Amino acid sequence: MEALNIQFAPETGTEEEWNEAYARLADYFRAYNLHNRIRRTQLILETLRKAAEAHAKDPGRAPTAHAIEQARLMLLEWFGRIYSDMNLSEAQLEATGRLGFHLAGGPVRWPQFFLDEENMPEDMGEAMRSALRTSGPGMQVSKMTPRDIDLGLIPDVAEDTFDRLGRHPILRYSVLLLIIFGVLGYLYSLFA
Amino acid sequence: MSAPIGSQTANIAMTAGMPPKRISRTRRATFFSLVGLGTIVGAWLSFIFLSENGMRLSEWALLLVFIPLYYQLNVGFWTALFGVWLMNRSKPDPLDLWLTLSVDDHEQPIEASTAIIMPVFNEDVTRVYEGLRSIYLSLEATGQSANFDFFILSDSDKASQWIEEETAWLELCRQLQAFGRIFYRKRRKPINRKSGNVSDFCRRWGKRYRYMVVLDADSLMSGALLTSMVRIMEKNPGIGIIQTFPKQIAADTLLGRVMQYAQALYGPPFMAGLDYWQCGEANFWGHNAILRLAPFIEHCALPPLPANAPFGGHILSHDFVEAALMRKAGYAVRLLPTTRGSYEEGPPTLVDMLKRDRRWCQGNIQHLWLVFAKGWHPMSRVNFIHGILSYVSSLLWFLFLALATFLAATPTPHGDPQAVLAEEILLGLTAMLIFLPKTVILLDEVITGRMFKPLKLRLLTFVSSVLDTVVFTLMAPVLMVFHSRFVIYTVIGRSVNWVTQRRKTDGGLNWAEILITFSSVTLLGIAWATLGWFVSKAFLIWISPILFSLVVSVLVAALVSGSRSGRRFGLFLTPEEHEPPTVLKTMQENLEEIKDRIQLAPELERHYGLLQVCLDPYVNGLHVSLLRRRRTIDVSRSYLDRIGHRLITEGPQALNAQELKALMHDTDTVTNLHYRLWSAADHELAPFWATAIRQYNLASTSPFAHTLASREVPAA
Repeated sequence: MEALNIQFAPETGTEEEWNEAYARLADYFRAYNLHNRIRRTQLILETLRKAAEAHAKDPGRAPTAHAIEQARLMLLEWFGRIYSDMNLSEAQLEATGRLGFHLAGGPVRWPQFFLDEENMPEDMGEAMRSALRTSGPGMQVSKMTPRDIDLGLIPDVAEDTFDRLGRHPILRYSVLLLIIFGVLGYLYSLFA
Repeated sequence: MSAPIGSQTANIAMTAGMPPKRISRTRRATFFSLVGLGTIVGAWLSFIFLSENGMRLSEWALLLVFIPLYYQLNVGFWTALFGVWLMNRSKPDPLDLWLTLSVDDHEQPIEASTAIIMPVFNEDVTRVYEGLRSIYLSLEATGQSANFDFFILSDSDKASQWIEEETAWLELCRQLQAFGRIFYRKRRKPINRKSGNVSDFCRRWGKRYRYMVVLDADSLMSGALLTSMVRIMEKNPGIGIIQTFPKQIAADTLLGRVMQYAQALYGPPFMAGLDYWQCGEANFWGHNAILRLAPFIEHCALPPLPANAPFGGHILSHDFVEAALMRKAGYAVRLLPTTRGSYEEGPPTLVDMLKRDRRWCQGNIQHLWLVFAKGWHPMSRVNFIHGILSYVSSLLWFLFLALATFLAATPTPHGDPQAVLAEEILLGLTAMLIFLPKTVILLDEVITGRMFKPLKLRLLTFVSSVLDTVVFTLMAPVLMVFHSRFVIYTVIGRSVNWVTQRRKTDGGLNWAEILITFSSVTLLGIAWATLGWFVSKAFLIWISPILFSLVVSVLVAALVSGSRSGRRFGLFLTPEEHEPPTVLKTMQENLEEIKDRIQLAPELERHYGLLQVCLDPYVNGLHVSLLRRRRTIDVSRSYLDRIGHRLITEGPQALNAQELKALMHDTDTVTNLHYRLWSAADHELAPFWATAIRQYNLASTSPFAHTLASREVPAA
């Protein structure tokens, strides 16, 4: 690990903007569960310096945006080296790398080597590579095709009726009303 | 073994597990003779009473609805009595599946591969995974878990829920060191609901396993029972499905506790009775059961029914049909009488129970199509009819009461001593059919102490049983009204939505929900009582217990849905509450731990999964890793960019469930959202995200531990 150099003097952007970028980067690296504060501070400063260079070339974007972009590029480069033999797309590489670091216990076991390409222990890379996960075992596809059930004559008649009633809500409610009025008529005839 | 579908019921070889025809026939002949005799006697007595002055049309109608109701009463009565007899006779039941296992069998290693699957749909993630953890640990403790794999099969359609399921899966696997043993699969489209979910599993991985244990999201099973079930299947190749008796657990409302108490007390004799006459043609209840996968895949795929929902379309109550198809293929479907090891949770409130019944009602009514289909075993038809009758009987009971009201309004003199005697005998018989099974079961418990040995607990059981009769008497007329309504809704074409079943109350009563749901029942009760007052005072007294229940239905619903359940007095106590089995104790301890976790602001908690996948680098990585990559066309890319921008600037509440789901299905979008959110200045973010970024790192030491207890398994 290099000695911590806290020298940071961006040519562009305001102090307030860079403070905001610093705070965001601090939150971002904390989200990686890096509890090693020295390494976190190192990373923040390293990222901010790269962001300051990028901001000098493109001052239209906020320093925070540059800072996170630089962090992403650093991650991609680091993961790219660890998973160089795996032919992963960019999105897969990022996802696999982050997950691999977590599952390998990186935040606890090797926090000081996070994003460190040169000093990374061999077993750390190996642990990250072997931590690839899938959500299911290898498929063994089978056919599960429904077989027709011979429902007989009654369902045929019923199906036609239901289809007809289903297509015509007025008809459906007419049938219902007819039944209700039939019952009421019968009751009336009994009491009358 | 199997015969082609569509042919006559398969010619079954006498393979192990299929009860001998001689025994099945004798048992059914005995059982249905007694049921038939009871029904005929009841119908005859009713006819004698009604026909004293000749039969009017309304009296014929009354007799017509009376017969199936009386049949159903007789079935329950004789099932319970046969069950009590089976449980008490000294000679072991020759069909008892437990007897197929010798002492040595329990020592043999299990070589058959078994998948334990849990289909979930927007369920409480913590409950699902803690339940699964308890089952897993219980199975590990048997030393026979090597050939068991677990699958969480998700159809959840809420984005946050989906992410929480993924994170809980990863954390559980990490804590248990169970990668490669516990799997998670999320379907993009939940075609054909739960049965489609299970079929999808069978198509993808079915060939890998000999057996499949189906669990519900609230199921809990002990390792000992799971291994025994596999062993029984191994020893009985003629069995296609073994259904256990899932006992209700973990209730904290009066309704839940009364239901679980009643199930614990009356359930085992009813199960034994069912097993007595169902033999090899029992039913499958959809969960807490083991299935032989090869015949299930080959024969039990469900075709859609004719016509559209609710009567036709996709089969809702798939389990009965799968059991019938399995039997049709020549395999036995058996009940396994159990008192320990198989558990589930019930609905906590009356409203939740009715919501569940609405679904079940529609599912059972659909079976009308299948009753007359060709090729079923006759008992499968009987099972369909009983399922239909369990809901239609409510409508029949309602009609019976309506017709009785009408007859009271148009009375004919009943002076013939023979008719009066018939009426009195009928009343006595009916009371016996209703109350004798409960009395016999209760006496059996008080004498034998099957549930509890200490005398004090047996006496409390006696008191609880009297009280549960009061609760069920108050609820039965209310259920009658709702079930009748459900049957009518189904017939006139009002379908139900697939909703998540609530298993716990959020604390406190939802009075608005109760009033909206039950005030119409109260009004019906008042109107009916007023009508009865004018029609006949004597009739009003006769029907008053039912009308009283209807009038006070709002209060009854509030009472049973509340948390005052008599527990501190030792009422409605079940063996599982008194001495929780290990599998339940483990789960409850872990659920208690989770209650103490740090909570974020309610708005953040509501969208916690979404918040995590967007902000947390590891959760984001996990989600993208589990997504299948699909080519995104330009149109959808611009659509996804647009809603992604809205998510960032307006917050998740501005997007509907479909939009959130669309975002979560695209790998590039999910990856980009992560960086776009972290890159944005505070003023560019919706307040939700600005707060989330500030608070996220405070919530938990591990991004994956928010929904699970922290119980690391020490490394071997």
